[in-house]
Parts: sequence; C-alpha cells; structure tokens
Amino acid sequence: MRKCLPFLAAIAVLYSGCEQKPAAVQGPPKGPFTVAVPENGAYTGVYADFGDNEDDVTLDKIENFEQLVGKRQAIVASSSYWGEGSFPTANVNIIVRHHSIPLIFWSPWDKPYDQDVIARNGPDKFNLPSVVSGKWDAYIDQWADAARQVGSPIFVSWGNEMNGNWFPWSGSFYGAGAQVPGSTPYPHPTPVPGYDPSVSVPPYPLQGPELYKKAFRYVVDRVRARGAKNILWVFHANNYSEPPDMWNVAAQYYPGSDYVDWLGLSVYGEQVHGVDSFTTFAPLFKWPTQEIHAIDPSKPVMLTEWGVGEFPKEGSKSDWIRDAFAAMPKRSYVKAAIFWNERWQNSDDTYSNLHVNSSPEALAAYRDGVAQPYWLSEPILKPQK
Amino acid sequence: MTDPVSEKTPFVFLDPRGRRWPRLRRVAILGVALIFVAIVVFVQTLFLRPELALPGSVRHLKGQLKALQNTQPVPAATPAPSQSLRKFLQNHPLHGTKAVLPHPEKQTKEIRAGFYTVSGNYGMKSLESHSKLLTHVIPAWMSVADGNGTIDFDRDLPFVDLAQKNGLVVMPILNNLLDDTWQPDAVEAIATGPQERRDRFFAAIESELDAIGAGGVVVDWENLDPNYHEEMTKLLTQFSAVLRRKNKELWLMVSMSADAEIYDIDDLSPVVDRFVAMLVDENSDSDAPGPIASQEWVESCIKQISEDGDPSQWIAVLGTYGYDWAQGSKTGDQITFGDAMSRANYSGVEGVKVAPPTYNPGFSYFEGAVQHSVWFLDATTFLNQIQAVRKQKWAGIAIDHLGSEDSGIWRAVSAGQRTQASDFHKLTTLKTDDRLTNVGAGEVVSVDESQEPGERTIVQNANGYWTSEYKDFPTYPVLYHQGGNDPHKVTITFDDGPDPKWTPQILDILKQRGIHATFFLVGSQAEKYPWLVRRILAEGHCIGNHTYTHGNLGIMSDQQVRLELNATQRLIETITGRSTSLFRPPYNADSQPSTPEELSPLAIAEDLNYLIVLEAIDPEDWARPGTAEIVNRVRQQRHLGNIVLLHDAGGDRSQTVAALSQILDYLQERGDQIVSLDQLLNMSRDDLMPVLKQKKENFPLLVSRIGFETYRLVAGFLWSFMIVATVLVGLRTILVGILAARQKRRVQPENRDFHPPVSVVIAAYNEQKVIAGTLRSVLDTDYAGELEIVVINDGSKDDTLGAVREVMINEPRIRLIDQGNAGKSVALRNGIAAAKSEIIVFLDADTSFERETIRRLVAPLANPKVGAVSGHAKVGNLRSFIARCQSLEYICGFNLDRQAYAAWNCITVAPGAISAFRKRSIAEAGGISTGTLAEDTDITLQLHRARWEVAYAPGAVAWTEAPETFRTLAKQRFRWAFGTLQCLWKHRDLVFNPRYKALGLFSLPNIWFFQIFLVAITPLVDFYLLFSIYLGNGSTVLPYMAFFVFTDWALALVACRMEPEPLRKAFLVIPMRLIYRPLLSWVVWRSIYQALRGVIIGWGKLERTASVVVKRPINQP
Repeated sequence: MRKCLPFLAAIAVLYSGCEQKPAAVQGPPKGPFTVAVPENGAYTGVYADFGDNEDDVTLDKIENFEQLVGKRQAIVASSSYWGEGSFPTANVNIIVRHHSIPLIFWSPWDKPYDQDVIARNGPDKFNLPSVVSGKWDAYIDQWADAARQVGSPIFVSWGNEMNGNWFPWSGSFYGAGAQVPGSTPYPHPTPVPGYDPSVSVPPYPLQGPELYKKAFRYVVDRVRARGAKNILWVFHANNYSEPPDMWNVAAQYYPGSDYVDWLGLSVYGEQVHGVDSFTTFAPLFKWPTQEIHAIDPSKPVMLTEWGVGEFPKEGSKSDWIRDAFAAMPKRSYVKAAIFWNERWQNSDDTYSNLHVNSSPEALAAYRDGVAQPYWLSEPILKPQK
Repeated sequence: MTDPVSEKTPFVFLDPRGRRWPRLRRVAILGVALIFVAIVVFVQTLFLRPELALPGSVRHLKGQLKALQNTQPVPAATPAPSQSLRKFLQNHPLHGTKAVLPHPEKQTKEIRAGFYTVSGNYGMKSLESHSKLLTHVIPAWMSVADGNGTIDFDRDLPFVDLAQKNGLVVMPILNNLLDDTWQPDAVEAIATGPQERRDRFFAAIESELDAIGAGGVVVDWENLDPNYHEEMTKLLTQFSAVLRRKNKELWLMVSMSADAEIYDIDDLSPVVDRFVAMLVDENSDSDAPGPIASQEWVESCIKQISEDGDPSQWIAVLGTYGYDWAQGSKTGDQITFGDAMSRANYSGVEGVKVAPPTYNPGFSYFEGAVQHSVWFLDATTFLNQIQAVRKQKWAGIAIDHLGSEDSGIWRAVSAGQRTQASDFHKLTTLKTDDRLTNVGAGEVVSVDESQEPGERTIVQNANGYWTSEYKDFPTYPVLYHQGGNDPHKVTITFDDGPDPKWTPQILDILKQRGIHATFFLVGSQAEKYPWLVRRILAEGHCIGNHTYTHGNLGIMSDQQVRLELNATQRLIETITGRSTSLFRPPYNADSQPSTPEELSPLAIAEDLNYLIVLEAIDPEDWARPGTAEIVNRVRQQRHLGNIVLLHDAGGDRSQTVAALSQILDYLQERGDQIVSLDQLLNMSRDDLMPVLKQKKENFPLLVSRIGFETYRLVAGFLWSFMIVATVLVGLRTILVGILAARQKRRVQPENRDFHPPVSVVIAAYNEQKVIAGTLRSVLDTDYAGELEIVVINDGSKDDTLGAVREVMINEPRIRLIDQGNAGKSVALRNGIAAAKSEIIVFLDADTSFERETIRRLVAPLANPKVGAVSGHAKVGNLRSFIARCQSLEYICGFNLDRQAYAAWNCITVAPGAISAFRKRSIAEAGGISTGTLAEDTDITLQLHRARWEVAYAPGAVAWTEAPETFRTLAKQRFRWAFGTLQCLWKHRDLVFNPRYKALGLFSLPNIWFFQIFLVAITPLVDFYLLFSIYLGNGSTVLPYMAFFVFTDWALALVACRMEPEPLRKAFLVIPMRLIYRPLLSWVVWRSIYQALRGVIIGWGKLERTASVVVKRPINQP
C-alpha cells in the first residue's frame, strides 16, 4: 500500500480539481452553453448578505449559507451598480468557480445608492433619458465585453422592481402614466394580460413605462451587439406595483419576448416593523405569479428575491417559509427562487432580519423545505442554440 | 637491558638514524597548517555578511517602509455629538424615577476592572505588574454562537489563575461576537424562543462560571433589535435570578449609541448588578476616522447617566487604545498606545497634543501612497476621564484593555480623587518597555529593537482639564509589516526542504498550475540535494533561508545564529549563484514574536539585512492531521493573513502533496490571486534573490564551494564507511560466533596416556608478592608426567629470590636461575635453554594454574603437527570495575576469537601467560625474538610460517591479574597495541597470502581492520555521529550506533554462554564501549605515532616501570 502512495498522490493531483464537487457537475458541455429551464423542479438560489452595496461577494458567505441550509445553491445573486463603472468580474468568477450561476441585479444608479436621496432629488446621472441618449455607451460596452469574457451563462436583471417607486428607473420618475408627448392615441383602450378585459388602461403610450422599455431594449441591444450571448435577460418586477395603478403594472414595462429570457418577481413578506404588516405568503405569491406568467406564458418565472423579516409578535416566519415551500411547486412555471438572506438596520434603529437563521425555527423551516429534491442545487447546462 | 640495536633481529619500526620522524614531522606540520588555514578561510566565508551582496533595492524597500511621511495632524473635529448619541440621549430610557439600588449595603471601594483579550500579547504582563491597583478582571471568554444558545468558549485559564492568585474577581465576558461578526439573531432567538432554550443557556453559563470560580458575568451584546427590549428585560431578569442563587453578579455593557435602546435601564436596574457604560468608540473602527472618546462626549454621557440613574450602579469603560484607519480599507485597525507612538515616531509627525476641544490626540501619516489617520487614548485622556467619572461618584472604572495602555494611566488610577499637577510630573517622561509595537500590515517583517524614552508636557488648564503635548515620541521596539495591504493576494511557502521525494511532487503541481511559491531551505538538506535547489530556482520559485540545522534560534548564541544563517546563505550562493534576502525562523512559535528572547534572532537576521517572512495561515501540515483537515484549516485561517505555510520535507508529506491542489483550488475559487512573494511585495525576484556579481564574489564563493564539497566528501566517506563497517562487523560477529560454537562441540577426547615430561618456564621481575602462590598453584597439579619448574629471576629489585627459595625448600622440582636484568625475552631464552623437557609451558609470574591446567594444556601436543597450544586465561581479580570489564573482554574478545580461530588453525597468539610449546617448534621458529614487544605473537606467527599448527585448550584455565586502574590499563594496552603493530608489520607478507590460508585471509586481516583501522578511525566516526545528531539527523544515525552496541552485546552473550559465565555479565558491554573505545583509539594512535617516530629510547624505561604493575601481556590479539 505504501508503495502505491506516490501513484495515488499523482492521481489525486490530476483529479483534485474535481474533488468535493457533486457528481452532477460534469463540467460544461463543449462549445457555448447555457442554463436549461428545468423540466422538473426549480433552481434554489440565494443573495447571501453581500454587504451594504450588495456587491461584496465572498466564497465564505456563499459556503456559510449553503452549510446553514444544507444545500448547494444553483444561483447566487449580487448587484452591479453603474456607479461602480465596471463589470463585477471578481464576484462573477467566485460564483462561476463555485459552479453556480450568477444573477446580477444591474442597476443604473450612482453612489451613494440611497433611496432617500432618490426620493428627495429624483434620478441621478444614470437617468433613463441619459441611457437611451447613448451617454453611457462606453460603459455598457466594456461591461458587456467583460461579461462576454466570462463565457458561462449569467442571469442579468436590469432595472429591477421598475413597477415600484423606490428605484430611480421606475416609471413614476419619468412621467408615470402620462401620454408620451406627440404620440398617437390607440383606437381602443388596451386590455392588460392577466387582468379582466374590462380593466383597461388609457388608450395611449404611457410615458414612464415606454421610456423604461426603450432603455431596457437599448441596453440589451448594445450588450448583444458586443457578443455577450451568455447573458440571460431577466425582466424582474415587484409582486405588487406602487403606486397600484394600471399604468404601473408590470405588463406595462415588458420590453417584449425578444428581450427577455426569464420573468422575475420579488416576493417579500413583512420587512420593516411598523411600515408594512405581517401578511401570509399566499396573497403575496399567488396572484402576482399568475399576473407575471400571463405577460408571456412562454417564459419561465424566477422568484428573483424572496424573504421575510422575523417578527415573532406579529406572525410566524417559519410558517411563512413553510407556506412558501408548499406553494411554489404548485406553480409549475416557477423554475427558480432566490432567497434574500440579509439583516439590515432601518432609520429608526430597528432591524429587518431576513436572515434565514433569524430564529432556529425559521432555519429549520427553510432547511426542511429546500431539502426536497424538487429544489435543484445544480444548474443544468445545455448547448447554446 | 639488552641493546636491541645490537641484536640480529632489529627492533621493528626502529629508525636507527632518526631521520624518518623529522621528515615526517615537517610534512605533517605543513599539512596540518594548510588544512587549518583552509578551514579558517572557509569558516570566515561563513561569517561574511551576506548584505554585501544585496542590491540597494532591498534596502530601499526597508527605507521606504520606514519613511512614513509627515502630514499635519488630523484636524480636530468639533465633537458634535454623533447622531447615534443624540438619539441615545433623546430616547434613552433613563427616567430614573424608579431606580432601585441592587444591594442595600453600598459598596464604597472603587471598582477597578481590566478588560483582557486573549489575542493581546501583553495583557498578562500588565496584569502582573498592576494587579494591586485592580479589583476585577474582565476576560473575553464566551460567545453566543447561535439561536439555540450554543456557546463558544475562548478560555485562557492561566490568566484566570493569575488574576485569582492576586485576589481579583474574574468576570468573564459573554458576548455575541463570532469570528468578528456580531450575532444579534442568536441572542434575539434566545430571548424570544421557548423557555427551555433559555434554561439550557443559563445552565451552560452557570456551569462555566462555577468551573472557573468567576464572580459573575459581563454581558456584551451588540446590534440587537430594539424591538425586543421587553424580551431582553425578561431574559436578563431570569438570568440575574439564576446568577444570584449562586451569589454571582450580572454586569451589563451598555453602548453609548442606538444599541443601548434595547435595554430598559429602569426595569433592569433591580436585576443588573452593574451597568458598564462604554465610554469609547464615539467613532468606532467601522466609522470614519475621528476621536474615540472626546472629553465632551464622555462627559455628556456621564452626566446624562448620572442625572437619570444611580451613579453608584455604573462603571465607566475608559479606553486605552487607538484606531488606525487606512484610506481605502473598510475598517480601522485597533492599535495599542505603543503602536501609535511608533507610528508617530517613525513618520516624524509633530504637534500631537491632548487639547480642547476633543482632548483626544490624533495624527495622520503616509505609508507609501496610503494615508493613515490615527486617533488614540493615553494617560492624559485617561486622567481627564477618570476625573469626570470620580466627580460623579460612579462605582468605578474598567480599563479597555490591559496591555494596550500608556503606562502613565496607572498613576492616574492610583491617585486619589484629588489630583494635583505634581502627581503627574513623572508622566512627562515617556518610558518605553519591552512591549513590541507594530507598524504596517502583513507577514513580511523587519525589526528594530531600539528603545529610547520620549517626552511630553502635562499641564492642567484653567478648566481643570489636563492637556499635554508630545515633544519627543518614545522609541519602542518595532516590527514593520509589509505585504498585507491586498487581502485578495495570497502566497504559498514551503519550509524544511528540499526533500528528494516530496519536493519534486510539489514542484510538479506548482508547475502544472503555473504558480510560483517560496521555498525556505534548510542548509543541511540543500547541501545534500543541490539539484533540487537548482530545479526550484529554474522553475521560477523564490528561495529563502531557513537556517542550516533547523535549530531553535531562541536558545542559540548570537554567533551561532549568524553561523546558521551565513552557512546556509553561502551554500545557496554556491549552488545557485544568487543570494537570498528572505529568511524564516524555524519553529513558528515566533510568528508573532512578543518577547525580546523571541525577537533577538530576528534582530540578527535584520542586522544581516534579511527580510523576515512569517506566516498567518499555518495548517500545521507537518503534524499530518489529514488532507481534508489541512485544507479545512487553510479555509478557516485564510482571513488572518496572506502567507500560507506548508512543508515539503521532514517526514511523510503525502498529505501536504494531496492537500496542495485542493488548497490552490479553494484559493482560486474564493477569487484570490495566488502570487509569488516578490509580487506580494511589489518587487522583482531579482531584488529578493540578487545574482552574485562574479568578480567580486569569486574568491569567497570558490572557498565556500570547496569547503562544502570537502565536507560533502568527508561526510559521504564517513557515511559509507559506517555502512561498510556495520556490514563487516555483522559478518564477523556471525562468523566468529558460528566458528567458536562449532569448535567447542568438536573438542576431542583427551589422550589419557599422553603425559610427557614438562618444563614450566616462569620469568619473574619484582614478583615477590605473587610468585610463591604461582609456584604452589603449578605444583598442585594432577599432571601424571614428570614436571620441573624453571624460574628465571630477571634481576628483581625486591626479594623475589627469597620468595622463590622459600617454596624451593623440600621441592626439588623447582630450579632457579638468577640473571642480571635483561628483559623478559632474554629471560625466557635462558629459561628455554635450561629446561630439560621437550615440552615447555610458559606461565606469567602472577598467573595461577588450576589442578587440571597442565594436563589439559599439554594434551593437544599429542598431535605431532601441533607446535604450540594456547591456554585459556581468565581475569582473577574482579574487585574493580575496570578489571570486571577486562574480564568480559577476555571472555568475548580474546577467548571467543581464539576458539573461532582454532577452528581454522589461524590462532595469532599463544599467550605468554599460559601456553605450551615444543622445544623443537621454538627452535624452528627462530627462538624467542627481542625484535618486538609482543614476543608471544611474534613466535606464534613464526610457528605458522614453519607450518606448525597452533591449538587451543579452552579447558586449561589460568587465572591472571588484570590492571585495576586506568593508568595501568592504558600502559598495558599501549604496549600490546605497539607490539601488535610491530608483529603485523613484521609479518605483513602473511596478509592475504593464500599459502597461509585462514591466517592470511582471515585472522590477520581481521586484526588489521577491526583492531587497528576501525579502532583508529572510531573517534572520527563518533564525532561525525554527534555532529549529525546536532544537525538533526540523529534518527538516521542512531540505528547504526544501536546496531554496533547490539552486535557487541550479542557476541558477549554467546561468549558468556560458552564460557560459561552468567549472561548478565554481557550487559557490561555497554559501559565498556564508552570507556574502551576512546582508550583503545588513543593507544592505537599513540602506537602509530611512536612507530613513525621510530625511536626505542624510552622503551626500556617504560617497560620496566610498567612491569612493576602491569603484568606481562597474557594475550596480544
């Protein structure tokens, strides 16, 4: 046996790159490849508390979360702000080397990335008109080049939760539901997918949503022109619109099937004590997924963000999580869910504790739920068409 | 005395004209002188300072490191209360209407607690020096690890022992900090979870407190959600009840920030024994740079608390540390007062003062291009703060933390409530101490040991506040760190190599992955495997110095340390043509040196201009914890620094080899750049390993090359010699054992009818005391034949004649011949001439026969081919240790050998002490010669030439008297050795002469090799063995030594069994080895020397004096 050691060591050296990796990871197929939409089950993923700017990705944090919940993560989410001026190559490399698929929230936003500042001053220098005017083309191009060089698939959610009013790319900041000046009104009021045909919107192009769509397409076109075909574009709305007007529903922002690979949805329970109230999972999930699915039923749906704070006096976080794990598989078009694992301090010094382990009970609920084989820990790769 | 020169057989080795020695001596002196000079020159090259070879760039690096540039001190910000404080003051729940005192008896003695962290190097020292001034210590101890109430312990029992020995109350901390991250979730889950979870949690803490005899616990929970303040009150109330049952106190740390909102002080004051107000971190490490505890902030906190609560329930945390915020890093580094002093001192800042409005000192400096801002706390800030605390009659203070402080604070602690300027004039001198301070970041360090006191002014201003200004910063011993500025860079290092088995495997992996590492070589290894050193270098790695012997530098003299470093440096230069400026001390205990003893070897390395490369990531792979564990430890320690230490030698490194790939995988997966050491330091490899300038370096390089080569040759020779010798000794042992055993079984039945007349010849010189006994033992014999005794008195100076005559009365068988003193050979010749019988038995005058001796001795002569018979001599006097040793030597050395030789008819000596000859055989052999000191060996060999057989009669025992002192033994052995040498020389033509069969092919070569050559070279081998052990190769050398001892012992066992003697006697072999080996080599060398000198003058004298005490050689092997 001893004599075999150098030989064994040599084998270990040759294969050590494959050690500790689950058998499912066979290495990428030859040639360009992408992530398949799983036929059965759904990908499990996480945003693992990557710091105040959501972009301090470390292997430690990913592995800590995986150890905590007892499952590898097929998708790992983080942010890339335009204010940083570059593609987050280091972050993406860590995730890719970890054999997970990166999900990037790519946000046209400048420092200090503070919603209060936006609420006070409106959009910053990365406002949507400046995007479509071509002012940031150089930045977009180099971002796209760097993304292309990664080679492997990347989910990119550009301008997420546009149907809210807290991010500077929301329609609210750009004329909201007003008619696009100089546009031709439609002959009939337009029905909205997923809504009763009787509920319709004003019969003209809506200023805010139109600009968003234009910007979305502009950015996607530009990135595609640089050859970054490894990007899977995610149209990522909030589960409920704010303001809750028909001009502001997600469908109004949809840039079209050609520009979108996956539909995304944020589904949060109570986050801040005193601001929202504890709501069970079902109403937060059922109607909104139905709504977003209706926009383009050919696309898979990803819960691009989901989570809830720990408010033991108001409701049970563990029940909420159990409900979620029970509800999600019932919508077969929900093909991925990214848990938002973060604790942050609010301006009133209270905390929003969306950590999966905010309590042992919450953690147990999550572990139980995600342990189901339905939740896929490994991305399924397939050759790119 | 006969003049041997006049004899027809000249005295062997005699150089009558006396020319040989002067010639030889001249050659010898010249040779020795040359060797001596060569060694001196070589050793001198080992002491050359390698710095001569290092280019300026390396020195420049150090210069740059020290050249911290001065900028203006950080502008003193107006200490507007921070937002969090404002909030605290607005929202604080200190409406003290219902504050209840915890204890009826109010404590009057001021509480003086000291915080202690395990990681702090000097906390223990500080406690030792100042325990009299303290009442409590607060060691970091327990952390709430998760929401189930799991507790992580970070115990430091020696500290607790020390504190308790000094009568201090130990109040361990229970915090919620795990791996530098606060775990508020965990505490919240305990507070809101089921009751049984809390009960378990309390019980775990209680048992820990009991185990260490703590006086209570200090709760320090941070980042908790104020939403849970009711649950927190409940939790602490229950906790307090549990503690009070055991008479233990509950202290609660209260942050002067929004964090405090979690605690409802009014509700908690009945249950919490002490509130500990954290009057520090006004600007914490995670904030922007600013004062840590500005006076106004501290006072506003004290005032507010005192107004709203009961001051006597409060303890004030007073800081003694600082923060250094580097531009671009997320958080500041906590530093000690000494660190702040060193940074200020070496950056040359001026005007650092404790003055309004903040009364906090601060400054900023540049390290290269990076700006640093430092705020710190010192004795003056402490003085102002303790004054404010005492004014409000608080319960006491807690010093945060022991070991980090300006030693001036202790004067403030000991001074009473009323302080006067004169109390503090001593603080104007800033004394330094051994405390090592740190500048910079990273594990590549350089050391400056200098110490000098500094100076400051201390003045109390009109408002009663103390102000001060640093006039001259104190110089503390300092460790400059570099290479630690980029947390994403990491480099791999290997120690202890090269190793022919593991180093190539590691190099292969590194090559395959395109990674450049650094190998810290042990000189003795590099010397053995120079090709590996060249390969390491050729594949782009760096080489560093890891000393020559891998010794512990901490216990070596300075000169020894220098020699260790220089010898290795010279060797690396010799092999690679490059110097190295990298050094790593063996034994990683020194990785964070904290004492001068640990520091001084580093200071020598520094003085020789090395960069000292330490390490923070040390998975201790040398202990073979398992591949997975090695990888796991690297993962756990990765955040501690950016130099990984592994080992490529010193044992089975298969785990390291297997772990290496996984470690590299892991580092790459986590996004690290695995760089070479030169890249980590932003230098080139040529800077770290400068190529030697050919011309300048030529001579010393040549010398050291020849020196190392010679050493290698000599060591190689000794090593092979040892192996050859081991094999031969083993073979000889087996052969002699087998032969002797066979011979013993073969002893032929005695021929009862053979009893011819016998003449016993005894030469006597000054044998008055013993001769009578000897004669009687001979006469008392069972020999059936005719017997006569011929005694030749060789001109004895005592009354030997009288003693013989006394026995002769009524004893006609004795004849006495009296001759003038002429030496033993002549006496024997005369004896032989006078003897009447054909058979002659020789016997020494001090040797006694047994009744059967003559019969058995003569018996083999029944065979007409046998010309001589050797008897069996035994040591009769066993009184002294030396004699006992000789007894064993006779048994296993002489008699066993003789037994074996007899089997092949190659006995080399029929000893004068007991032997039988034929007159005819003596005559054919040319008679007794005076040409050697060993006439018995000489004549035995002559007999062989004349084709006589020489037999052995083991049953013919004679008891002889062995020397009983070292001196006499040495003299005896010298004469034997010289005589043997003479005979060997005289009969050198017999050696390997097939005509003489076993004598020429076995027994004589055997004597040459085992009794002359091996014995002569033994001290060299011994010296090399000792040196090898010093080099740490003991494990390979010791088996050989053990083997030698074992074979000796085995042979002794066989011999004792055959004799028969008690087997335990064989154990004497071990001490014998220690005594005989040096003695035997000495006599052999002396014989060689005398032989070379070729003189005879002085021999006679020696012989005569010797013969008084030393009896005739019984045996000359």
